[in-house]
Amino acid sequence: MSIFLTLIPFVLALLFSLAIVPVLVWMERRIAGLIQDRLGPNRCNVGGIRLGGLIQSIADVVKLFFKEEIHPHFIKNRFYYLVAPSLSFIAAFLSFMVIPFGDNYNYDGLNFTLQALDVDLGILWFLGFAGLGVYGIILAGWASSSKFGILGSLRAASQVISYEVAMSLAILSFVISYGSIDFRVMVQAQSETFLWVLPSWGVVMQPVATLILIVTAFAETNRAPFDAAEGESEIVAGYHTEYGAMKFGLFFVAEYMAMAASSALMVTILFGGYNLPYIDSKFMGEHLAFMAMFFVLMSSFFTFVLIRWIKKNNTYSSVSKKESKIYYVLLLGFLGFIALGFTYLVVFQLSSLAIALMQVMTFLLKFIAILFFFIWVRWTFPRFRYDQTQKLGWNLLLPLSIANVLVTAIVVVGAN
Amino acid sequence: MGIKTVQRPQKSLKHSLYISALYGGLKTTIKKFTQNISDIDSIPTINYPEQQPSDITSRYRGVHRLTKRADDTISCVACFMCATACPSKCIFIEATQRTDGVDEKMPRTFTIDMLECVFCGYCVEACPCDAIRMDSGIFTLIAKQREDFLYDKEKLLSIKGAFGNEVSNAK
Repeated sequence: MSIFLTLIPFVLALLFSLAIVPVLVWMERRIAGLIQDRLGPNRCNVGGIRLGGLIQSIADVVKLFFKEEIHPHFIKNRFYYLVAPSLSFIAAFLSFMVIPFGDNYNYDGLNFTLQALDVDLGILWFLGFAGLGVYGIILAGWASSSKFGILGSLRAASQVISYEVAMSLAILSFVISYGSIDFRVMVQAQSETFLWVLPSWGVVMQPVATLILIVTAFAETNRAPFDAAEGESEIVAGYHTEYGAMKFGLFFVAEYMAMAASSALMVTILFGGYNLPYIDSKFMGEHLAFMAMFFVLMSSFFTFVLIRWIKKNNTYSSVSKKESKIYYVLLLGFLGFIALGFTYLVVFQLSSLAIALMQVMTFLLKFIAILFFFIWVRWTFPRFRYDQTQKLGWNLLLPLSIANVLVTAIVVVGAN
Repeated sequence: MGIKTVQRPQKSLKHSLYISALYGGLKTTIKKFTQNISDIDSIPTINYPEQQPSDITSRYRGVHRLTKRADDTISCVACFMCATACPSKCIFIEATQRTDGVDEKMPRTFTIDMLECVFCGYCVEACPCDAIRMDSGIFTLIAKQREDFLYDKEKLLSIKGAFGNEVSNAK
């Protein structure tokens, strides 16, 4: 049991970073479709079960895995060409590992952390590895000896110099106001109240730094409106023009993992992390039965809404009635599993496990909401030209963030 | 004359902060998204192969066909107007003497290479006898080999018009 509990944070980190990529691709396609008055992929199925088109992204992953590896003959430096996608991938993967998904939990006298890498560097680790991801892109464009590739990596390089300073300064003002670089301490600081009524979330305490951080997070993950490095309308595919099969797949996965990591960072330092507003682990422990009931009620509400939505909208063909029935059984089974799990944990007084479960659920909900925001923004805004990105970074974001750091420092020092 | 200076609108602070424009854009897309997700059936796309399009009008340029006159003879008189007007040079006609006594000339072979055709409709406009038309309503052109895309006279005559008005309007 204790081995199982030790493995939980790693499994969760893998689930939230790597296993969420097909789900994100699916969300991207379906949300893009719905925003543009079309449906998006909805045909791919396994025995009539379509899961709303989720099977399509699994099919894509399988295709990328089994595709032939082609190395263009004009590539002179094979080593750098091959190492670049892995660099992007590793950087995106490792930057996720310090995010806490819940408070510490204990079982049988042993203490476990819900954080894959239990380090107190927190934000430094994250910034270090997130910044490294761009090197993979720059290296890829240079090593593929192609004009489109080099143009893409030049754009990536010009983008890096324009946002990284503003991003670091925005994060610095969060660090000043929480007084720590450890994510866990930051989350605990956000469970208090601010000005008596508001939750002391980062978004409430530092609105300017929040805006700067959100803008620079989009630039850092190379997503629209800052995806000039890919620029498919001008430079084919930018830095990954010469990459095929799983080498391209690694870039593709790395982009989504960087997006997931940025969302996790935003949840942790802007939106109160794994805690609900006003409520910290201690409060949860004191009102355990009530909180468990609240979570089960919320889950049943979501299940009910989802079932009603399926009943109304799954009218694709004559077989979709049968398909809907399977979804109802799955959803109700999942709800029953959650309800039984909470009952078990509450009855047997495993309060820290119950709290951890609730916190992971809260984290997941916030995480998905931010990811939705990322996708929503991508399908709304046109791309910034790379000189516009630089102008935005140096002329607007940098002075704003410096002023914000100064004001924050003065207020924090004055208050103490 | 000379250089005309276009006055660009002055950039205000509100303009250069982007915030209100970003908010407007996000509002538009989320409105569309919620509207579509709450009622999937309101999306105007169709389930194509199962559900065929219903908005193909008589002006739609589909696969070509050759028309016949009221007395069931071919209305083409092999004047080569269509082959001359064709920008992609994909109409191949060989003329011969008419045997049915209706007119002087008729095509012995009349072949359209559908792989070359750009469906511009110039042949239809050039035809003085209303002999070639594109009103078949066929928008899917499928074959298993290249040779099958060469539509000859018999095949072109066998295609029916999709909008009534079968007979040639000439004369």
